[in-house]
Amino acid sequence: MILFFLTSGLFLGWSLGANDASNVFGSAVGAKMVSFRKAAIIASVFVILGAVIQGAGTSGTLGKLGAVNAIGGSFTVALAAAITVYVMTKFSLPVSTTQAIVGAIIGWNLFTGNSTDTSTLSKIVATWVTGPILGALFAIPLYILISRIKRRARIHMIQFESYIKTGLVVVGAFGAYSLGANNIANVMGVFVPAFDLSEMNLGILSLSSAQQLFLLGGLAIAAGILTYSKKVMETVGSNIVNLTAEAALVTVLAQSLVLFVFSSTSLSNLLVKIGLPPIPMVPVSSSQVIVGCVIGIGLYKGARNINFKILGEIAAGWVATPVIAGLTSFFSLFIVRNIFNIDVGRKISESVETVQTPERAFDISQVMKYIILVIIIIGIVISLYYYMLERKKNREFRKSEERFWKYIK
Amino acid sequence: MALFSRTTRQTIIKIDEFFDNIDLGILVFRKGIRSYVKGDYESFHRHLSKVDALENNADKLQREIENEMITHSILPQHREEVTRLIDEMDEIMDGIKSSLHEFDIELPEIPESLFENIISLAETSANAAEELIPAARAYFRAPHTVREKLLKVYYFESETDKISFSIKKRVFHEMKELDLAHKAHLRYIVHHIENISDLAQAAADMLSIMAVKVIL
Repeated sequence: MILFFLTSGLFLGWSLGANDASNVFGSAVGAKMVSFRKAAIIASVFVILGAVIQGAGTSGTLGKLGAVNAIGGSFTVALAAAITVYVMTKFSLPVSTTQAIVGAIIGWNLFTGNSTDTSTLSKIVATWVTGPILGALFAIPLYILISRIKRRARIHMIQFESYIKTGLVVVGAFGAYSLGANNIANVMGVFVPAFDLSEMNLGILSLSSAQQLFLLGGLAIAAGILTYSKKVMETVGSNIVNLTAEAALVTVLAQSLVLFVFSSTSLSNLLVKIGLPPIPMVPVSSSQVIVGCVIGIGLYKGARNINFKILGEIAAGWVATPVIAGLTSFFSLFIVRNIFNIDVGRKISESVETVQTPERAFDISQVMKYIILVIIIIGIVISLYYYMLERKKNREFRKSEERFWKYIK
Repeated sequence: MALFSRTTRQTIIKIDEFFDNIDLGILVFRKGIRSYVKGDYESFHRHLSKVDALENNADKLQREIENEMITHSILPQHREEVTRLIDEMDEIMDGIKSSLHEFDIELPEIPESLFENIISLAETSANAAEELIPAARAYFRAPHTVREKLLKVYYFESETDKISFSIKKRVFHEMKELDLAHKAHLRYIVHHIENISDLAQAAADMLSIMAVKVIL
């Protein structure tokens, strides 16, 4: 039953993986610089790593916005966000999971009578606006730097492109890590306050309750990347960044840096140490940040016809998505509580912090141990299979070439 | 990963080798025409067989470059154009080969008064093709310098046209002692030599657009 309640979050994770992986590897796969297989494997691994290692920061902020304190509530909030994303995507409206989940949490606050922390909310909204701007600010100097290096170093175009290709893989891995770290809050953030799992010891490392949830969310995102992101990468990827190879690299790097900045607690602590204000740990929309990066490069290159429609759509999304998600969440919570008679949460002061029994939590930890083991084994087997397949293909190609020249002679 | 594979380096070497082949082919073409006009047939045949070997090697390199670019996804955004450029440059090599073979098969009789003109025509036509090579090499390393390098191709091409017109005019207007078949044959041979610079110009046109695309 507990796993059932997680399904809405897992679905949200799956759709995030299917859609947002294209922001990281879309340009590289769309331009055929990196094969989808390679991109999907790298993105999946690093999304999981980012989620587990660095996902706590942004989840904490969402928790401050509204600590959903019943599993039924977490399920409904995540479901409301997922429905909002699905319906808006269906009607081709610009939508972001980040904004949907924030709206859904506010809906829960309203339904349960909890007050919404306005300072946290204003911090989140301010970050949505600054995210794309920061993306542009990162992209411009990076683009200038790479263009100058290219021009001055007089590297052979093929050599340069091979550096870019390697760069896209490395930056893509960093981007996937940052995406996992920043956006895992959208997927699992609402479940964190409601779950209290026993610590899972894997020998070399142990995972806390939140990290186990992030691992599950990361696996859902990875599943989305592996099963459904190919088409999105090949079509949307090339549409977003129909730029030169170096511009594609810069946009992905700038976007990754923005996501990383808004999810790195150590960086924030470092700023506090040197007397600067801390960075808010807020999930930001990777799609909107990448649009900011592209516009930044466009402005530097002297583009006069900036598409204000896209900018308008993004701004409209900041308002429309949370409102729609909030309303969906409110009505869904009403239905779940009154028709299905499921506890969806109470006012924080009266609430019981967890509804999870330690015994059940222990069971899930045990199950997850096996899931991880099975995934590792499957991963190794698939990697070996593809390695052998690649070797066989190369050998056959070499043979056919030799035959061709023998025939010509 | 591309950075760590030998394929990138090998492809660069092969492209450079391909250009070297064309460059050498042009050089041999000059020498070949000069030998034929001067009546040194032994040297001419040596040059002819050299051109054959160079053309064969260029074809092989062309195929290998195209294969590597496709199978290892090298320069995916510019691959089509680069392969077309290599194809256009291979056309020049084919033109050189077929031109020298025309001389070998048809044994055109060149009047002594046209010796210097034909040699000059071949030199200028070869110059046009020769100037294309640094521009093509620059496309890969410094695309912003391509257009200035191509200026010389256009200059030599127009010079070739002028020389060819003057030869044809002389043949048909002044050399009354030649019969029409001989005149027509000379015009045909002149056209063949001139064709090398035309092929260079076609490749230059393409290269110029390619360079602009890369810079923008």
